[in-house]
Amino acid sequence: MLHYYEPQKDFGTPAAQSAEQVSLTVDGVTLEVPAGTSVMRAAALVGVKVPKLCATDALQPFGSCRVCLVEIAGRRGFPASCTTPVEEGMQVQTQTPALAKLRRGVMELYISDHPLDCLTCATNGDCELQDTAGEVGLRNVRYGFDGANHLAASKDSSNPYFTFDPAKCIVCSRCVRACEETQGTFALTIEGRGFDSVVSAGGVDFIDSECVSCGACVDACPTATLTENSIIEQGIPEHTVTTTCAYCGVGCGFRAELRGNTVVRMTPWKDGKANEGHACVKGRFAFGYATHPDRVTTPMIRDSTDQPWRQVDWDEAVSFAAARFRQIQEQHGRNSIGAISSSRCTNEEVYLVQKLVRAGFGNNNIDTCARVCHSPTGYGLKTTLGESAGTQTFASVEQADVIIVMGANPTEAHPVFGSRLKKRLRQGARLIVIDPRKIELVDAPHIQADYHLPVNPGANVAVLNAMAHVIVSENLHDEAFIAQRCEASAFEDWRAFISDVSNSPEALAAASGVDAAELRAAARLYATAATGAIYYGLGVTEHSQGSTAVMAIANLAMLTGNLGREGVGVNPLRGQNNVQGACDMGSFPHELPGYRHLSDVTTRADFEQAWQVELDPEPGLRIPNMFDAAVDGDFRGLYIQGEDVAQSDPNTQHVEAALAALDCLVVQDIFLNETAKFAHVFLPGASFLEKDGTFTNAERRISRVRKVMPPMSGKADWEATQAFAQALGCSMDYAHPSQIMDEIASLTPTFSGVSYALLDEQGSVQWPCNDSAATGTSTMHVDSFVRGEGYFALTEYVPTEERANRRFPLLLTTGRILSQYNVGAQTRRTDNSTWHAEDVLEIHAHDAQERGLKDGDWAGIQSRVGSTVLRTRISDRVKPGVVYTTFHHPVSGANVVTTDNSDWATNCPEYKVTAVQASKVTEPSAWQSRQREFDHRQRQFLQQATVND
Amino acid sequence: MSAQQTERLVRMANQIALNFGEERDLTLAARRTGEHLQKFWTPAMREQLADYAAAGGEGLSPAVRELYSRS
Ligand code: SF4
Ligand code: SF4
Ligand code: SF4
Ligand code: FES
Repeated sequence: MLHYYEPQKDFGTPAAQSAEQVSLTVDGVTLEVPAGTSVMRAAALVGVKVPKLCATDALQPFGSCRVCLVEIAGRRGFPASCTTPVEEGMQVQTQTPALAKLRRGVMELYISDHPLDCLTCATNGDCELQDTAGEVGLRNVRYGFDGANHLAASKDSSNPYFTFDPAKCIVCSRCVRACEETQGTFALTIEGRGFDSVVSAGGVDFIDSECVSCGACVDACPTATLTENSIIEQGIPEHTVTTTCAYCGVGCGFRAELRGNTVVRMTPWKDGKANEGHACVKGRFAFGYATHPDRVTTPMIRDSTDQPWRQVDWDEAVSFAAARFRQIQEQHGRNSIGAISSSRCTNEEVYLVQKLVRAGFGNNNIDTCARVCHSPTGYGLKTTLGESAGTQTFASVEQADVIIVMGANPTEAHPVFGSRLKKRLRQGARLIVIDPRKIELVDAPHIQADYHLPVNPGANVAVLNAMAHVIVSENLHDEAFIAQRCEASAFEDWRAFISDVSNSPEALAAASGVDAAELRAAARLYATAATGAIYYGLGVTEHSQGSTAVMAIANLAMLTGNLGREGVGVNPLRGQNNVQGACDMGSFPHELPGYRHLSDVTTRADFEQAWQVELDPEPGLRIPNMFDAAVDGDFRGLYIQGEDVAQSDPNTQHVEAALAALDCLVVQDIFLNETAKFAHVFLPGASFLEKDGTFTNAERRISRVRKVMPPMSGKADWEATQAFAQALGCSMDYAHPSQIMDEIASLTPTFSGVSYALLDEQGSVQWPCNDSAATGTSTMHVDSFVRGEGYFALTEYVPTEERANRRFPLLLTTGRILSQYNVGAQTRRTDNSTWHAEDVLEIHAHDAQERGLKDGDWAGIQSRVGSTVLRTRISDRVKPGVVYTTFHHPVSGANVVTTDNSDWATNCPEYKVTAVQASKVTEPSAWQSRQREFDHRQRQFLQQATVND
Repeated sequence: MSAQQTERLVRMANQIALNFGEERDLTLAARRTGEHLQKFWTPAMREQLADYAAAGGEGLSPAVRELYSRS
């Protein structure tokens, strides 16, 4: 799927949605288009390009440039084709002598105020102004450059990724509109009038403005005014490969645009169904980590972690690891080894790791990082609805009337979905935010949440139960839906439970911290919506009652009939790019691909036959169980694919003790991450640019990842796992990831129709994809639930054991920030650090004052398991009693303080609630000092390895 | 396995029973807890908890005790 570079096709104005068809002729060609289509778009559909400057199909038409004029039979004058809708029987001429003259006149004016340095311009050959001048046949400019012009205006290169060169601006407003319509940030305006109008980022440089660096304006700009620095430095691309973002669970489609093997630009793919041409600062700009000098590209081994690394070839590395693993098993039993797979790797790679464990290690000690994020989603949705996945497409939000956002912060963590959501809210959809923190959506440009329920960390279930109580007691539930679709006896039990006065908002107000009247009003709003949709994130799952909260969310949706159609649903927002896929691929210790429990004899038999081994029917260890067992000496060999548990998992000191206790730790990663510092074998990983495969996003959408450059280590991750498996004597012999997908499809009913051929043809496919849904399933549970009848689970509110007390009076909750991703291994190695150079402690002014903390002070944060030091930021986003931080930088040690409290059903850690005390300090914590020292020594070991070779 | 490990298992089992509503319906909570452990815990972890229960089971919640008294 390599293509010579050409800009993505632009039809000038967005597609019209009408079912009614209108017939017209354009330059003598007759065609039919949906009513509401612009004349410009109709022309483009039959291959006629009307010259244009201010129009682009990502934005609503604006009608300012006047180069797109056409003639229409029976109409006077020359209407602008971008703002003129088609009419039945319309006859359009796009090329006449009169039009040519008019267009040339307009272009002449534009060019007279534009530098004529095309030959040395960064976008020479990729500029719409240049193309349009060519199209209209502009040959000379009569006005000269002596009059007033903007040619001397100075550049703004404050943003690390793009440059604003106002001398080249034609004031078409595409950037301003992109920032408003597509991104929803409203950072740009046109200041001044007439000749004096200029684009302004609110009167300051881009970097100091509201701009979130999504790049939509850069994409929209038809000139070189807004240009990516990578293009300025390296020139325009010569070929493109379509692939998928490797950052968050939105799963945006991208065109990697290259010169040779060098990516010069990532452009969001207009046909990508998850993003429809939009992107965020991470996916669009933060790809430089892939070629960062910190990449380790040679396999390394060592006998113990206090030794320098020894660089070896692949064969020696995997033989060393295999010999050690086998030796451990001989001495300590079959169950003494295991693996952790990565939600950042492809479906095929994750599938191979679980296959290696089940077929090669002969046990089920396989877990994945979803354990620490969305395992409660898997449990909760499987229990209530029957399938461990979100119910909708992202586009479904465009039909939602009332939207609940709970424990999620889409504008920071799922930015492209956040933009879609904001667009719907600007159109008038109502919004309920349930979050301890005042997230951006509560009060954003042109958006105001109807209700913000500032729940106390740990009390989600109380809020959800109270909402359900209100709906049932006020008879706002959808009787017919429940009668037709849900298990009657379970509903009756649940109704009795939820109706109890102990579940009323008034009774729960003290625990939840939410005003009862506000909560009642919010519940009524959701219950009475024609379409009500719930979006939730890790603020729901990462609690001791994460699974209960997910079930309570599903209950609310069933209760109000908000499932099985467009605009409704239960929508988990997944953190990492392939969390959904990793879960789908059987990465949990109790189930095989497709969420089928190991105890299912038929399923097990299918896999046993395909793999020619006998499978252990009993569940294996979860990640926290692995760590506990390691500390105890029962678990001694661990293979970790692309995860940094030493940084991302809670109670760092316990994790470090577990890792240090292992006889053999094999880490496969692109960098020597925190975990790799405890490793005996390092297998160099490949970035998403270096391999083929698929990712599955939060909408169950399977998208292709395509290799755009060869793997720097010589092997893609699936090849590394395969080599390790072979060294262990486990038969694996795939020539290409498509063969792995074929095996997955042959063994997994929800994937049986999936193949690379289908993905190439469709662009992407949402599972289930099989005989009854040949091109996939956009909305789940349409006529009935996957489970059969929907199940109302009882959702008892059990307060967490982690409570604020005299010693630890504050509740710490953790989260994410737009520019950084997860543990930051990738984004910290890009210019994204411009925006977030360190993690800080957000604290309310009242709490800060009590502790004598001022903005910028070092604050020591102590929990019952550990302490760390962060800089203070006084913030009104958190309420008194609650403090907040992110965990993007290893030295912050946010997880040194988080405890190993976890979700009752899945052991997903309770990252979102830790009782802490904060105080003013003058130096880093003891752990931080130790960490610095350890880090320094391990880096030396790496350097010595490089020197020795 | 260590005492610390056992203590963790006890805590986890109690938490499961509580979330299955042991304060509402002890028998049902005990049954559900049993099913849950069967489905998600390794045989070694289950065995360890059973041994602990058999040895007196100090600190086990009523539903977890009930589970082991039945079997
Ligand atoms: S910066 Fe580009 S998009 Fe914005 S007004 Fe100027 S030319 Fe148009
Ligand atoms: S980069 Fe995005 S947020 Fe920044 S000005 Fe452009 S469109 Fe607006
Ligand atoms: S929204 Fe997510 S998937 Fe899309 S570009 Fe940003 S990080 Fe990548
Ligand atoms: S493209 Fe139609 S007026 Fe600019």
